[in-house]
Amino acid sequence: MKVLIIDDEEDFRTVASSCLGLLGGDTVAEACSGKEGIEMARNDVPDVILLDLCMTDMDGTKTLASLREIPETAEVPVIFCTTKGMFPEFEDMKKLGALAVITKPFDPLKLSDQIKEILKAAGFACDQVLSAD
Amino acid sequence: MRLNLQLKISHKGFILVLVPLVFELVFLIVLSVLLQQAEVEVQRQVRSKAIISQANALSKLFYDAGVAMGGYSITKSPLFSDRYDKIVRQIPLDLQELKGLVGDNDKQQLILGRLQTITSDGLKILGEAKAAIDDNRVDVAQFRARHMYKQIRQLADQLQDELKGLTEDERKIESESPEQQNRSRAAVKMFLVFGVVLNIGIAFLLLYYFLRSISTRLSTVTDNSFRLARGQKLRPPLSGNDEIAQLDDAFRSMAEALAEASRKERAVIENAADVICSIDMDGKFVAVNPASYESWGFYPDELMGRRFIEVIMPEDVPDTIRAVRSVRGATSKVNFENRVKKRDGSMVNVLWSADWSEKDRALFCVAHDITQRKLVEEAIKANEARIRNIINNMMVGLIIITRDGLIESINPRTESMFSTRSHEMLGRHVMSLFADARHFSVSDPNDRQSFMETLFTKALNRIGEFDCLSANGEDFPVEISLTEFVSPDGAVRFMANVLDVSERKEVERMKKEFVSTVSHELRTPLTSIRGSLTLLAVGAMGALPEQAKKVVNIAERNTIRLIGLINDILDVEKLEAGKLDMELVDVAVASIFERSEQAVNTFAANNGVLLDMKPSGEMVHADGDRLVQVLVNLISNAVKFSPKGAAVTVSSAEIPGGFIEVHVTDRGRGIPESFKNRLFQRFQQVEASDAKKKGGTGLGLAICKGIVEQHGGTIGVESEEGKGSTFWFRIPKAQNLLKQPVQVLEPAASMQSNQAF
Repeated sequence: MKVLIIDDEEDFRTVASSCLGLLGGDTVAEACSGKEGIEMARNDVPDVILLDLCMTDMDGTKTLASLREIPETAEVPVIFCTTKGMFPEFEDMKKLGALAVITKPFDPLKLSDQIKEILKAAGFACDQVLSAD
Repeated sequence: MRLNLQLKISHKGFILVLVPLVFELVFLIVLSVLLQQAEVEVQRQVRSKAIISQANALSKLFYDAGVAMGGYSITKSPLFSDRYDKIVRQIPLDLQELKGLVGDNDKQQLILGRLQTITSDGLKILGEAKAAIDDNRVDVAQFRARHMYKQIRQLADQLQDELKGLTEDERKIESESPEQQNRSRAAVKMFLVFGVVLNIGIAFLLLYYFLRSISTRLSTVTDNSFRLARGQKLRPPLSGNDEIAQLDDAFRSMAEALAEASRKERAVIENAADVICSIDMDGKFVAVNPASYESWGFYPDELMGRRFIEVIMPEDVPDTIRAVRSVRGATSKVNFENRVKKRDGSMVNVLWSADWSEKDRALFCVAHDITQRKLVEEAIKANEARIRNIINNMMVGLIIITRDGLIESINPRTESMFSTRSHEMLGRHVMSLFADARHFSVSDPNDRQSFMETLFTKALNRIGEFDCLSANGEDFPVEISLTEFVSPDGAVRFMANVLDVSERKEVERMKKEFVSTVSHELRTPLTSIRGSLTLLAVGAMGALPEQAKKVVNIAERNTIRLIGLINDILDVEKLEAGKLDMELVDVAVASIFERSEQAVNTFAANNGVLLDMKPSGEMVHADGDRLVQVLVNLISNAVKFSPKGAAVTVSSAEIPGGFIEVHVTDRGRGIPESFKNRLFQRFQQVEASDAKKKGGTGLGLAICKGIVEQHGGTIGVESEEGKGSTFWFRIPKAQNLLKQPVQVLEPAASMQSNQAF
């Protein structure tokens, strides 16, 4: 599974990519801003994007909106990653086209499985996803 | 006399009239009897005379017949013959007449019978003689004449005798009757005179007696009335039941009632709490009731003869004198107030009620102690001032409105809140103070009506939030609560408490922001710390030495605990604000049980505790995640406090009222009775050391309670110290059983609040 992590916090990126890469065996790409993330996703379309909601330059919702406008990334499933956890906000995110929300802090051991289950539940064939890595 | 006393006056009067009347009646009867007798006597006399004259006439006729016959026999003259025939025809007629006169007198009838025989014999002889004469048998005639003559003489003598006998009787009667009449007349005269005298005597006697008995008794009554007036004892009651006795009786009742009334009046005056006194023209006490001691400390005797103004506080004397002077001219009662100096030097406030009696040339006064009332009045005034002060300075705006919403009064805070002056607000419609006035017309009755309805619905006896509009056109949030009350004039009014909550809203907003920020700021580093530690602990970064692994585990465990604490604090915060997000769907109890078991399985196993899950088949209407959170919390607690090897039983069952009740039972140490009601409060643990020994934040049960209550359920505990506890909660049952539970995609670690949809 090819995961693109878009987060302006380097520590998070490092930990999350370790968890996914070392523990989950996934292929991980990291972007430090929404802008960089969009660029990377366009160049190398990932299976799923883990998108931080709160970023300084361009926040998660704007990034998502941009991703949806670009044909290559328009269909890529996006999972928000946030420290906030309010249902109304989740609803808003869902309207923007996000697949799910994973609240921080997550369980490092289960992060990879969690993402896969979300994709599977949303109808993305896991085999296909898994075969991509 | 005794007998007469029983009679009524009317009866006595009746007797007075009746007795002479009876006498009159007797006189009348006697007189008429006497008159009748006299009449009979006169008639008898008249008849006697008639009989005598008739008898004499008869005798004479008979004699004449003989004479006529003698003449005829000698002369043969028809003159004698005619005379004779006439007499012969006359005799039976006279006899018949005499018979009628005699009537039923037997003796005379007998005489008459004989008379008839004699006359018929005589006439027979005379007839024979006449026949002989007519036949010219003179010799015979002569012979017969001689013989006849003798016979006739004899008969005539007999007749004479009989008639004599008859008339003698009558004469006797005739001569007797005048004497008898005179006698009876005298008797009647005597009787009449005696009767009249007796009648008059009796009448006078009765009159005298009745008058005497009536006037004596009346004088008793009169005397009683004088006695009553003089206050003397009344004479003994009159006996009998006549009008005077009744009058006497009524008089006595009246006297008793008067005595009772005066006794009561006296008792009232003697026992009155108010001082009652009379003051003469010189201003001196002439009568004082005993209340003076209780009220002023002076016995009545001490006050008698003293000047009234001596007991008045010197400062009040001029006013008092003025008031007293006004009483003398007044026609009605005059009230005035002053202060009386008591014997012990203290003073009492007194309300005087004075009445001037021109007849007695005295002032009658009632002095009512109003010290208490004065104190109360002052206290009321002070209290009013205090309340007024509070109202004027309170930080809550007060607006009194009518039912229709017209503003009647406001307090200063309302003025400052709405940046307006009181006089500008009074009489206006309350709607003009609200932001609604921007969108609706205050002058439209329908808009007003619907506004008032909203206002009452949201704020009557509860607190409602509104947006108000100040005079300078700014909106500001307020909380309003309306209370209905009845104003002194009896009209219904509403008091609106208006609290400007702008600042509080701002604080709330900031707090929310702060909590959100802190949560974000803490979670971000914790995410990295936790991730790093876990990666280290699982050896993803290469195997660690045993010692290092141990401390990394400690760090990881405590990080997880810290994350739990932050999550709990956020939950509590949201619960308190009533803003815990919940998505209520129909969930199978079994699924809640399963997910909870997964979450605490490892924890239970580590503590050597067995989990006995017995879910029932129903579905509940709830937020599955939150319910799992509750159940996990309760099971974790149960595990924590269970001895090794013991079981924790989790079961569910439907109970009446449309609820599902879930039980979590442990065999732990139980909960002290005194602690039970604090158990569900924040940061409460049975033993202070529990937090360290058993872990946990002390917020778990408070959160459980909040969540259950937001579901409309209840939570509680049954426990016996030393034997274990059973925590239970009730959650509404799913209404529609056909509805499929929404599969919530949720990793087992719900305690970490990972959420998905």
